[in-house]
Amino acid sequence: MTAITIDRVARTFGSVRAVDGVSLDVRDGEFFTLLGPSGCGKTTLLRMVAGFCELDEGRILFGDARIDPLPPHRRNTGMVFQNYAVFPNLTVGDNVAYGLRARRVPRAEMASRVARALKLVQLDGYAQRWPHQLSGGQLQRVAIARAVVIEPHVLLLDEPLSNLDAKLRVEMRGEIRRLQKLLGITVLYVTHDQEEALAISDRIAVMRGGRVEQIADPRAIYERPQTPFVASFVGTTNLIEGTVRSRAGDRIEVAFGGGIIQARGEAAAGAKVVLSLRPEALRLMNAGEAPPAGWASLNGTLGEVEYLGPVTRFAVTLPGGALLRLMALAPPASPGASVAYDPQRVVVMGATS
Amino acid sequence: MRHLVGRHAFPLAVGAIAVAFLTLFFLLPLIKVFGASVLDSTGTRFTLANYVSVLSNPFFLTGLTNSLVIAVAAAICAVLTGVPFAFCLARMAIGGKAVLLALAALPLVLPSFVSAYALVLLFGRSGIVTGFLQSLGIPFDSLYGAKGIVAVYTLTLYPYVALPVIAAFKSVDGSVEEAAQNLGASRPRVLRTVTLPLVLPSILAGGLLVLIEALENFGVPFVLAEDRPILSVEAYKLFVGETTDNPASAGVLGVLLVVCTVIALLIQRAVLARRSFSTGTRRSAAVMPVSVSARRLGAAYCWTLVGLALVPFAAVVVISFLRFSGPVLQGGFSLDNFAQLFAHSYRPLTNTLLLATLAACGATIIGVPIGYIVVRHRSRLSALIDIVATSPFAVAGTVLGIGLVMAYSGGFLILTGTAAIMVLAYMVRKLPFSVRSAGAILHQIDPSLEEASVNLGVPPALTFWRITVPLMLGGIVGGFVLTFVTVASELSATIVLYSGQWTTMTVAMFQALEGTSAGIAAAAATVLIICTVLPVALVYRLLRRHELSMM
Repeated sequence: MTAITIDRVARTFGSVRAVDGVSLDVRDGEFFTLLGPSGCGKTTLLRMVAGFCELDEGRILFGDARIDPLPPHRRNTGMVFQNYAVFPNLTVGDNVAYGLRARRVPRAEMASRVARALKLVQLDGYAQRWPHQLSGGQLQRVAIARAVVIEPHVLLLDEPLSNLDAKLRVEMRGEIRRLQKLLGITVLYVTHDQEEALAISDRIAVMRGGRVEQIADPRAIYERPQTPFVASFVGTTNLIEGTVRSRAGDRIEVAFGGGIIQARGEAAAGAKVVLSLRPEALRLMNAGEAPPAGWASLNGTLGEVEYLGPVTRFAVTLPGGALLRLMALAPPASPGASVAYDPQRVVVMGATS
Repeated sequence: MRHLVGRHAFPLAVGAIAVAFLTLFFLLPLIKVFGASVLDSTGTRFTLANYVSVLSNPFFLTGLTNSLVIAVAAAICAVLTGVPFAFCLARMAIGGKAVLLALAALPLVLPSFVSAYALVLLFGRSGIVTGFLQSLGIPFDSLYGAKGIVAVYTLTLYPYVALPVIAAFKSVDGSVEEAAQNLGASRPRVLRTVTLPLVLPSILAGGLLVLIEALENFGVPFVLAEDRPILSVEAYKLFVGETTDNPASAGVLGVLLVVCTVIALLIQRAVLARRSFSTGTRRSAAVMPVSVSARRLGAAYCWTLVGLALVPFAAVVVISFLRFSGPVLQGGFSLDNFAQLFAHSYRPLTNTLLLATLAACGATIIGVPIGYIVVRHRSRLSALIDIVATSPFAVAGTVLGIGLVMAYSGGFLILTGTAAIMVLAYMVRKLPFSVRSAGAILHQIDPSLEEASVNLGVPPALTFWRITVPLMLGGIVGGFVLTFVTVASELSATIVLYSGQWTTMTVAMFQALEGTSAGIAAAAATVLIICTVLPVALVYRLLRRHELSMM
C-alpha cells in the first residue's frame, strides 16, 4: 500500500514524444485509471512505473522512495498483462508461487499464501491444473492471483479485460474492484474503454498525445470535462464552437452559426469557446410545447430517428448546418423540431486545442 | 541511460562474440578467396589477369554456363513438381496427409549425393536397370550429365518449394476466394487470378532457394557430371590440384560461384520484402470440393512424387546388403559390404558422429543467443548480425573450405588438418539453421512472459534461464538435430578440409565412389542414411512443428 508520485516524466521514441512531461499523484489505496485512445502514452507510463521503459526525464516515487533508478525486478510491483502472460510451462500453483520463490518465502508459508491467493480469485482447487486447460477468464484470475500474492507496493493492470468477451468483462471488472477494496491496495489501471474507466475508478487521468488532459473522479470527468477532447472521448456529446456574445454574472450567451445558446460560465464577452451538450441533457419537445422553467430552446429540423430499445436517438439539424444528437427514454408523441436544454448543464470550455 | 551496462550487457556480449566468430571464420576466409583471385602469382600485386585467363578458357566458361543452366532448370522443375504437390496437400481431401508431409520433408535431411549415386547404381552405364533393359534389347541412354543432375536436384530439393507453398496455400484467406466466386469467377479463374498471385511470393522464394542449393552443391555433380565442368567441382579440383595446384584460378571460380548465389539471394530477399499480401484475421481456406477421380489423381501424384524422391535411398539400402565382387553384382544378401567398409576402422563413423555433435553444439551455443538478440533486442547491430549470420547459405561449402585453408594454413592460427577447422566450417555453414529456428520459436513466445517474470522479482539473466530457455527448448532441440543430420551428410566443405585421421562417412563414401567397389559405397550410404533418419525420427514430433517456420 503505497502512494505513487509521477513527476514531470517524459520519454521520446524516435521523433515521437510518447510521454510528454506527465505529473500525477496516485493516493495510497486508490484505484487510479489512465484512460485514452491507443498511442496516447498510457501503457508507456504504466511500463515506466513497472520499470520496463526507461525515463528520459522526471522521476517516479513510491511513498517517499524514488524507484525509477531501480531495475524492474527490484520494484515490487504486481503487473497484470493484457494477454495474461501466464507461464505455459508451469502449473497454476507454480505460476502463483513464482514471485514467492524469487523472494525465498519459506515452503510452508508459500503453500498457504498460494492457496489463499487462489481462493481470493475463486480458483481454489486449480493449483495442479495447467494453463492450457483454463479459459480466458480463468487465466485472467491466475494472472491477478500471481500479481497480488507477492503483496506488491502497487498493482499495475494493462488493459486486463480487453481479451475477454463483453459479458465476462463486466463481471471481471466488478471482481477486480471488489478485490482492490478488500486488499486496500493501490491500483494503476490502463484502459481505452471509457465506460470501464467510469465504472471502476476512484479517479481517472484522461491522456492524449503523451499529455494528461484532465485528472478527476469519474463524475467530474463526465459532467465537467475541461477540454473538448475529454468531453468527446468520454461518452458522446455535441460540441459546438461559438463566441461569447454577452455576459451577466455567470450567465453567458454564446453565438454560433445556428443562433444563440445560453450557458453558465466565466468566459468574457468576445472569447471563443466550445460548448458540450450531452445527448441526454437535451429534450426534443412536442410540437407547440414550451420548455420547462429555467430551460431554453433551439429550433431546427428533425432528421433521422433511431429506435434503440431502451432509448431513442434523434438528430436535429440547426440553422447553419450544425447537427445536434439527442436521446430520450420515450419518443415524444408528436415530435416537433424544437430542442430544449438546461443552460446549467451546458459545459463551457476554452476554444484552444 | 543509467542502466546502460546492466541492461545492454547481454546483447553487447552476444554481438561481440557473433561479430568475432563470423569475422574470423566466415568473412576472413571469403576475403582470402577474393584476395587470391585478384592477386598475381607473387601474391603482392593487384591484377585481373586471373579472371581474364579463367573467363577466356572455354572449359571454365562452359562450367559457368553449365552450373547456371542446371541450377535454373532444377529450380523450374522443383517449382513445377512442388507447387501441384503443395496444392493437392493443402486443398484436397486426400488421405494420409500427415505421413505425406513427413515423407516430403525427408529428402531435405538425406544426403543428396546418395540419391545421385543410387541413380548411377540403377541407371548408370553398368547400372542394374540399364543392364536389365539392354538385356531385353531396349536401348537406354544412361543418366549422366545435366539431365541426371537436374532430376536428382528436382527430387531432393522440391520440398524447399513444396513446404512453404503448402503453408502459403493454407494461409490464403478463404473469404477472399469466396468473394471472387461471388463476383462470378469460375473456380479455375479464382485459382488463376486470386489464389496463385497470393502464393506467388512463396513459390519464388522456394524456387530461388533451390537455385542457390543447386549452384553450391558439390556431391551430385561430382557423381553425375563425369567430364562436364561444373563450377563447384572445378573449384575443388583446381584447389586440391588434381592437375596443378592453382589457388588463383580456384579463387576466381569461388568468387564467381559466390557472386551467382549472392545475386540469387538478393533476388529472393527483394521478392520476400515485397510480400505484403498478409491480411489481418483470416478464415482458413476451404478444402476444394473436387470429383472423386480428380482427388484420386491428386493423391496418386503426391504419393508418386514422394515415392520417387525416396526410392533411390531405399534402393541404396537394399543394394548395400547385396553381395558384390568389385563393381559387379553377384546376387544374394550379405553383410560383406559393411564388413569391408569398417575393415580398417570404425573411425569414419565415430568421426562423423563426433564432429556432427560438436558442430551442432557449437552452432546452437552461438546461434541461439544470436537468434535471441535479433528478435528481442532490435538494433542496427543485431540487424547486421542477422544478415551476416544467415548468409553462409549463399556460400558454397567448397569455397568456404578453400577460404578456411587459405586463412589458417599459416600465420597466427594454424588449423589445417585438424578437427577444429572442420567443426568451425560446419558451424558457420549451419549457423543460419540455429539462428532461424531460435528466432522462429521466439516469435511465438510473447515478450510479456519474460516481463511478467522480471516483474515478479526474478532478474533478467535468471528469467532467461527459467522461462525463456524452457519455452524455447523445442526449437533449440529441433535446430540442434537439423544441424546434426545436415553436418553428418555434409560433403562439399569436408572434402576440402578433411585429413586422413578425420575421414568422415561422407568422405569414406566419396573414396569408395572414386574406387571401384560399389558395395562399399552403398554400405557407407546406408550408414549415412541411418545417421540422418534415426535422429530425425526420434524428434519428429518436435521437428514437425518447426520445419515449416524455418523454411
